[in-house]
Amino acid sequence: MTKTAERTQLHEQVVLDRPWVTLVWDDPVNLMSYVAYVFRSYFGVTPKQAERLMLQVHNNGRAVVATGNRESMERHVEAMHGYGLWATLAKADE
Amino acid sequence: MSGLRRFTRQESGALLAQFEPIEVDLLRLAAGQLVEMLDAGATDPALAQTDGVFGRLLPDAYRDDDEAAAEFRRFTATGLLERKAQNAQIVLNSLGTKHETGLDETVPGDTVPGETDLVTISLDPDAVQAWLRSLTDLRLTLADRLQISPDGVIHLVGEDAPFLRELYEWLGMLQEELVYTIDV
Repeated sequence: MTKTAERTQLHEQVVLDRPWVTLVWDDPVNLMSYVAYVFRSYFGVTPKQAERLMLQVHNNGRAVVATGNRESMERHVEAMHGYGLWATLAKADE
Repeated sequence: MSGLRRFTRQESGALLAQFEPIEVDLLRLAAGQLVEMLDAGATDPALAQTDGVFGRLLPDAYRDDDEAAAEFRRFTATGLLERKAQNAQIVLNSLGTKHETGLDETVPGDTVPGETDLVTISLDPDAVQAWLRSLTDLRLTLADRLQISPDGVIHLVGEDAPFLRELYEWLGMLQEELVYTIDV
């Protein structure tokens, strides 16, 4: 009983705390190698994951590169703008 | 530069970069103009909101919420522009003072034995980061001037177009080489 309640509460909190995403959009300027490098060095993902995300941006026009609360997504977007990448944030369900 | 590696890694973690003097002059010109442009934008937020190039350097953080995008811009634009200007200034500083042909003492860095025409520049890891970001900012700025559309086509015509295009492509090659040198 307690466990289920705790789990439900935890689940709700996760949902409430993580309703935002950081998106990186394809642009005609940034090099594929540089975009993959930024993902690897800033988000700390493996070279393989960075390559996959970069190809998502390139092929699909955009990719979700981070999920979390609004404040941290704004921080990521600001960092991406610092790198010269075209990034936005949005609610995860949009 | 053909057959030569432009960037080489040192054991210390620094990179050595080799350029023709004319390339150094070109980079100095481009980075200098970038510093001026970014400084102007950082001190005059109204300018940063009207000039198209700032729209790409600082894109809207929210696509469908103008109010939130304006709020984000209010809190981040000046800091971002200042950091971008600092990066461009670091690039400028690493290029040394103006190279005068025939006056070796004004050549920045050391020349390579047997390749006295080449200028060697040492970049520590912080400078490398500044170079990566500034090369991007320069290319974004040039892409705006060249009126590059989302499909990558250049629409600028006129006498400036060939030079700007060549510079844009050369900076891209430079950045690609830099990324490959550090991204191993």
